[in-house]
Amino acid sequence: MSTRIFGSGIKRREDPRLITGGAKYTDDMALPGMLHMAMLRSPYAHAHIKHIDTATAQGMEGVVAVYTATDLSLGAVPCAWLVPNSDLKTPAHPPLAADKVRYVGDAVAIVIAEDRYLAQDAADTIHVEYEVLGAVVNPEEATQEGAPQLFDDVPNNIAFRWIASSGDEGVEKAFAEADVVVKDRIVQQRLLPTAMEPRAALAQWNSGTGEMTIWCTSQNPHIHRFILSGMLGLAEHKVRVIAPEVGGGFGSKIPVYADEALAAWASMKLNRPVKWAETRSENYLVTIHGRDHIEHVEMAATSDGTITAIRGTVYAGMGAYLSTAGPGIPTILHGLMYCGPYTIPHARCESIGVFTTTTPTDAYRGAGRPEAVFLMERLIDQVARKLNMDPVELRRKNLIPPFEDGYTIPLGLTYDSGNYEVALDKALAMIGYADFRKEQAEARKQGRYLGIGVTTYCEICGLGPSQVAGATGFQGGLWESTIIRVTPTGKVHAMIGASPHGQGEETTFAQLISDEIGIPVEDIEILHGDTGNTPMGWGTYGSRTTPVAGAALVLATRKIKEKARAMAAHLLEAAVEDIDYEDGKFFVKGSPDKFKTIQEATLMATLAWNMPEGMDPGMEASQFYDPPNFVYPFGTHIAIVEIEADTGIVHLKRYVAVDDCGPQINPVIVAGQIHGGIVQGVGQALFEGVVYDEHGQLLTGSMMDYAVPRAEAFPEFELDHTVTPSPHHPVGLKGVGETGTIASTPTVYNAVIDALQPFGIKTMEMPLTAARVWEAMQRRNGSANGSTNGVHEGS
Amino acid sequence: MQIQGSYTFEYDQQAVWNILMNPDAIAKAIPGVKEMVPLEGETYAWRAIAKIGVASVSGTYSGIIRMTEIEAPDRYRLTAEGEGQQSVINGTALITMQPAQEAGKTVVVWDAEASLAGKLASIAQRLIKSAAGLLSRQFFGGLAKQLKAAEKEAKTVPAATSSHSMAGES
Repeated sequence: MSTRIFGSGIKRREDPRLITGGAKYTDDMALPGMLHMAMLRSPYAHAHIKHIDTATAQGMEGVVAVYTATDLSLGAVPCAWLVPNSDLKTPAHPPLAADKVRYVGDAVAIVIAEDRYLAQDAADTIHVEYEVLGAVVNPEEATQEGAPQLFDDVPNNIAFRWIASSGDEGVEKAFAEADVVVKDRIVQQRLLPTAMEPRAALAQWNSGTGEMTIWCTSQNPHIHRFILSGMLGLAEHKVRVIAPEVGGGFGSKIPVYADEALAAWASMKLNRPVKWAETRSENYLVTIHGRDHIEHVEMAATSDGTITAIRGTVYAGMGAYLSTAGPGIPTILHGLMYCGPYTIPHARCESIGVFTTTTPTDAYRGAGRPEAVFLMERLIDQVARKLNMDPVELRRKNLIPPFEDGYTIPLGLTYDSGNYEVALDKALAMIGYADFRKEQAEARKQGRYLGIGVTTYCEICGLGPSQVAGATGFQGGLWESTIIRVTPTGKVHAMIGASPHGQGEETTFAQLISDEIGIPVEDIEILHGDTGNTPMGWGTYGSRTTPVAGAALVLATRKIKEKARAMAAHLLEAAVEDIDYEDGKFFVKGSPDKFKTIQEATLMATLAWNMPEGMDPGMEASQFYDPPNFVYPFGTHIAIVEIEADTGIVHLKRYVAVDDCGPQINPVIVAGQIHGGIVQGVGQALFEGVVYDEHGQLLTGSMMDYAVPRAEAFPEFELDHTVTPSPHHPVGLKGVGETGTIASTPTVYNAVIDALQPFGIKTMEMPLTAARVWEAMQRRNGSANGSTNGVHEGS
Repeated sequence: MQIQGSYTFEYDQQAVWNILMNPDAIAKAIPGVKEMVPLEGETYAWRAIAKIGVASVSGTYSGIIRMTEIEAPDRYRLTAEGEGQQSVINGTALITMQPAQEAGKTVVVWDAEASLAGKLASIAQRLIKSAAGLLSRQFFGGLAKQLKAAEKEAKTVPAATSSHSMAGES
């Protein structure tokens, strides 16, 4: 038997076109008669619009139209995650601000012109008279009395108040009876998703057929069609959304924004194609941001290191409006994961969503789970320190024992499978934990500061059972569907509703199909991204494409296989039960030399000259798949850092990651996902952070001001894995798109704090820049009078 | 954002005052000013168009420049409100003049407050202080040059004197 294609690290089939410039992105498209749209955006964080003067722009040669809110006939931008039992407020989010702007970048007018640059120049001539109002950027402060109010009918800017609890009495009791309690105030700083390709849209209205085609940067074109048809007032079957090549998303291309809808509306109005493409600074200003929590968290434990309770109050900045999935992120995807991989009996999360005069926030890689894992791992290290226990042993003591088919946590979720300690031990062996502690002690004597951070995590992904989606207020389903079509010559078109944009499913899904029916990967095309030729699906996010769409694909392929088997049996004049399959060939049991290939069976089924009784012609199958549960990948990440005493620079010396996402279809692609994830998570720990000034002006508006991590900051990652299949997935797969980001932030953060133990530093605000670390060290040395710039000393 | 600075002119206070009240001279000295037209019905107000580059944001701004709180020959307040490049700039500076310790020289001190909104804030804010310092030096240096040129026209001046007529900002 040849090497199995499942599990083989073949190269990504997407890459040649991506790295040779052959890929076509939305902004590469051009249509005859195409116009360009530019946006006039508010320079103020919060202001009444008194008057808009567009006369100059209107009169410029080449300007076709200028529109403000009063010209529009376009629905509001909806929020689509209406979290229940949270008193959720959903004030209208108009596509263009009518009477009030609520963040810097809020769109006020659009200019449509013959040329992109002309459109922007014309927008610059529009004069808007504003009455400037107070800004508020800190979500906790925004809830205080006297804070500027964004909406008249949202008191104290509170968008929702959501609570997940294992039982308040039990939580209270556990804290009251605890031997140790540690508390922390954690700032999950705002982050910029920074997809390599900014957003763009090209809309073409066909007045003859009444059809609208929108090419746009989308992670979920079917959701975009669903929502845009509503905003535009068009029947859904008359709207086609195409996500061509999409250059990354990290969550930022899930939401439906006003911009795409405005381009489409203008195309209808003017009966010409209209394109809009973001600049990078516009991307930083108006495309969603991630995180933005201020958390007050605490953990209770007994003196032997048994964690008895965890609780927290989260002020989650929603920005100026609720983005598409915004409210679901700091609630369902965050609070329900407060127990992590540990046997913590009591847990409570209160999450308060808050409007601030800032860019809206939404899912950013990990989306709620990085924040949950971070606070857990921070608190565990602090408990360990307080009890003078090794933080690894404290984790080990509290890990949930191995389980293969379901473990229900106090917050109600049922984890699918886990074997946490094995992953922990593997990672510890790789890093040489015991030896490191000796090296660290030795180094400290020499005035060198080494630190180690260990994270044992599990996370919820593979979103998810549609019934749960409905119960948690998600305004859609979370199933996937596929159509697999085998051509007469045995080539495969597999159409999926999910929409990969960098994750490599054109490769891994071809491997899944090939593994089931023996058709070579080269003969399989995965079609995605176009609502015109793919079946319905809810998109690519939440590490769901492989667990959900992948399951649909496997089941559909098995239908193909069974039809081919029946066809082969007919051709071999044998009973179906007597037909064996191996490597793309069907044969009568015991006679492997006399066979029909899958291609032969397909050809004969397609010609249909001689079909078995009752069988329809053709070789095609479709499959819907609604997962019975989420999947819960897990693992252990360990980092070693060294801090330069003279500069405070944190050097990441080693990084070990042992992840378990079940069986791996393609270990190279899994490694790629983990690599990218680690880098983004470390970015939060060490480099990244959105800064607004007190007037709500975004100060990190370009790549010169916002520190996206660079390759030079990283060592070679040392990866390994364990394999714990998901019991409910047809081939046991779990998602792996976000684990790196989820685990790496606390891992590196804890390593830095560990290194700084001689300075007695307990907690610092991220990012742990050289300046901040150096200042903390100086303060402890007593040789400088630095500010308290996010540093809290230990005692 | 607070910006303070000073500049020493090698001229007496009346000469400095005169040129600081001369809109034509000011229009010539403000870096990048393309146009400065008096506002109808106001004595000390002008509509101005300037082309300025700060960091990676370069372009044309239009706005209003006003002089208020005029107390000859000691002080006045200069305010500017401008917009352009998806940005709004607001600045107000109290400009004070007094004789320098050295006879015949005048120290001009400014105490300014500026705020930026929009693209300039998000891209250029961290550079604006140094840019403001540079623009201020260019502005007062430009005025000093004009004083010198006027002086040359009025009488013959020995070359040695003019070579150090541009004093630096302190």
